[in-house]
Amino acid sequence: MSNDAYLAAYPALAERLPGQDLAWLQQFRQSGLQAFAAHGFPTLRDEEWRYTNLAALSKTQFAPTALQTAADDLLAEYRVADAALLVLVNGHFVPALSDLADLPAGVTVLSLAQALQQQAAKVADYLGKAVAETEHSLVAFNNAWFADGLWLEVAAKQVLSKPLQILHLVTESTALAATRQLVVVNQQAEAEIIETFVGNVDSYFTACVNECFVEQNAGLTWYKLQAEASKAQHFGGTYAKQARDSRFSHHNFAFGSLLARSDVHSDLDIASECSLNGLYLAAQRQHIDNHTRINHLKPHGISREFYKGVLDQKARAVFQGRVVVAEDAQKTDSEMNNRNLLLSSDAEIDTKPQLEIYADDVKCSHGVTVGQLEEKSLFYLQSRGIDEEAARHVLTFAFANEMVDKVENSSLKALLLKQLLARFSGIEF
Amino acid sequence: MSNSAQEIENLISQEYKQGFVTELEVDTFPPGLDEDVIRRLSKVKNEPEFMLEYRLKAFRHWQTMPSPDWAQLNIEPIDYQAISYYSAPKSKKDGPKSLDEVDPELLDTYKKLGIPLDEQERLAGIAVDAVFDSVSVATTFKGKLKDAGVIFCPMSEALNEYPELVKQYLGSVVPVGDNFFAALNSAVFTDGSFVYIPKGVRCPMELSTYFRINAANTGQFERTLIIADEGSHVSYLEGCTAPMRDENQLHAAVVELVALDNATIKYSTVQNWYPGDKDGVGGIYNFVTKRAECRGHNSKVSWTQVETGSAITWKYPSCVLLGDNSIGEFYSVALTNNLQQADTGTKMIHIGKNTRSTIVSKGISAGRAQNTYRGLVKVAKSAENARNHTQCDSLLVGDKCGAHTFPYVEVKQPSAQIEHEATTSKISEDQLFFCQQRGLSAEDAVSMIVNGFCKEVFKELPMEFAVEAQALLGISLEGSVG
Repeated sequence: MSNDAYLAAYPALAERLPGQDLAWLQQFRQSGLQAFAAHGFPTLRDEEWRYTNLAALSKTQFAPTALQTAADDLLAEYRVADAALLVLVNGHFVPALSDLADLPAGVTVLSLAQALQQQAAKVADYLGKAVAETEHSLVAFNNAWFADGLWLEVAAKQVLSKPLQILHLVTESTALAATRQLVVVNQQAEAEIIETFVGNVDSYFTACVNECFVEQNAGLTWYKLQAEASKAQHFGGTYAKQARDSRFSHHNFAFGSLLARSDVHSDLDIASECSLNGLYLAAQRQHIDNHTRINHLKPHGISREFYKGVLDQKARAVFQGRVVVAEDAQKTDSEMNNRNLLLSSDAEIDTKPQLEIYADDVKCSHGVTVGQLEEKSLFYLQSRGIDEEAARHVLTFAFANEMVDKVENSSLKALLLKQLLARFSGIEF
Repeated sequence: MSNSAQEIENLISQEYKQGFVTELEVDTFPPGLDEDVIRRLSKVKNEPEFMLEYRLKAFRHWQTMPSPDWAQLNIEPIDYQAISYYSAPKSKKDGPKSLDEVDPELLDTYKKLGIPLDEQERLAGIAVDAVFDSVSVATTFKGKLKDAGVIFCPMSEALNEYPELVKQYLGSVVPVGDNFFAALNSAVFTDGSFVYIPKGVRCPMELSTYFRINAANTGQFERTLIIADEGSHVSYLEGCTAPMRDENQLHAAVVELVALDNATIKYSTVQNWYPGDKDGVGGIYNFVTKRAECRGHNSKVSWTQVETGSAITWKYPSCVLLGDNSIGEFYSVALTNNLQQADTGTKMIHIGKNTRSTIVSKGISAGRAQNTYRGLVKVAKSAENARNHTQCDSLLVGDKCGAHTFPYVEVKQPSAQIEHEATTSKISEDQLFFCQQRGLSAEDAVSMIVNGFCKEVFKELPMEFAVEAQALLGISLEGSVG
């Protein structure tokens, strides 16, 4: 199987994709398809992918499916209390499983297929505006292949009373779940989104692209919990465009999947703020790649980035954080930090923090550390009667918990804590 | 524009002082490169057979390689057929026996550059090997070095006199196919310095090479090989200049260092090739491969570089830390002004146990220049208790320049401790104001702040170079206070 197999299967699929009657959308998809045909999936030769091998995507042909089998146990486990629930099964929005009755005031929720029927012109204004197919060929792939997704719009000056949870669930083996979410937070509005990825089958491929538009003086908080099944392939990109004085904060928890690549990009206008936090826990043969880019395009922007990782057994993680400060973006204030804990001699971390600065009146810094648990701390705990294994768990947990602590939503925090504790036996609260 | 900004402006617009051309009779190959040129080159230099094969192998490999484009650089395509690959001052048939026989024009050139070639004067007590265009013209203090057992001679001489040593080590650190420019160098290198420090010897004086590109349309491809045998110690200095010309000239050197058990090599560079004029016309393309192998236990290699010249710098002095407890160090100041571009940094490859490395990089970008730090710290699975600390600071002078930091950290060993820090800022108005308020002129204040910024690196330089480097920095930045 190769990229050709995907291309060969595309014409049959194309007829079933939403928005058949929209010429601009057909063109958009065609152009994505051509870009994908030209490059195929990214390879190690692409600088931005040099540590992440996507050969598995070509070995199995993942195919879209319309089946909507649910998995009640997963839904129950990952449902965040006090949040409106939007469920996508195998890449398609399923209203029956969602909890739309309880939507907070001021928000419009449509499946993308619906949105293309009801307000195509509006979709056209936003689709592909936060990320282009030239970004890399997985975005191009998504442009051509996305079968559904969500349209979320928060009206101006509306502060949502509760968060929206987008739950991506895959229940079919070798399924391809290609979705596109468009999130528009209008002027002075505030929204909180919890994005969850789960699955209950062996091998599948999630290819999800989110485009966020945070308008002037608006705020968007985005939590991502990636808890895909242990053999899943995951690509999830969130691309934000921030208007002036806006706030965007993204929390990225990568726990699951066999291979995961996450993109979080943001373009900052005047005096906007961006904060990116992340925690990746990888064990066995997991490979987790986190890629972030903060584009300071205009003056007075503030960005803070903090990613932590814990790697055990044969796991490998990649962190690429890039901060670009354009010529115009004077008075930019940017900090980036990446800390890694290596627990096994078979684990590997490749980290690449980057600063690209074209303005002179800026304050930018980044830091990276790679290390192990401190002997002194271990000794201290052991001297207090805690056995070595438990002591290691306590210290590792404490290292990781710093990121969970930054989560303000208490229901989600409880869910994350449960996930975290499940990894470290012997710790009780 | 504020007063201080104006002064920065003045400081930036300082001219290149080594830009004179020396009128000499030279032997120069016509431009072009093919296997015949390499055969001729090898023949002119009277090289042993193995060298010709080595060169041809490198050339054949080079032809299959694409020019690298991953660096944060904007390089005009280079026409490798328009370059002359050999240019030598026409000297008496058998070469100069002593300094008296060296072309006086040449000696004048080096005097202008302030290089103590004249052995009688014993100016600085440094042994110098001067390389003019393609050939080494004079090596001083040979006798004294020989007494200590140190071999310090031009590469071409080493090839004839110590072929076994050269054969054993040449290309063992930087293989012929390592990268595009190293392959080109392996095929066409003309001269350079060869140093061998025998077991247990502490080299009695600093060794120094001075490189100068003089002829037009030539490239300079020198090759330096330094071998420090068990328990030895050597400090080596390297300086470079070139005349001002409108076209870009290529300098693609390869430097290989080998440190065996308990040996220490300290390699310092002050690179001041012609950077081009303020509109970016002319200047040297400085594409250099420098790599050291700490093969022995407890060996140590320290790179110190001050990069102020060249239109484009593409250079990553590296340390392969093979031996247990070996140490790699990299101290760098890279200053770019006008339209200069630099993509420079280091690679620290930790393979042996308890290996340690330190990286201190200071980038200063002024005018419309682009200055990039690109570094790799790699810890192999075998490198237990490896330790690295990296500090990269960038200073921006003016609002049209760029400073970039691209570190790569790859770790496969849990007991490794790796730290990387980077900051970017400009000279703050507060700092300037504070100094000026204490009675310093704006220019002195900037010079002081920049020198303070680079102090960590300058203190690693040998005395004479430290003075030169500070002066160079002052010149290159003159008028850029703000």
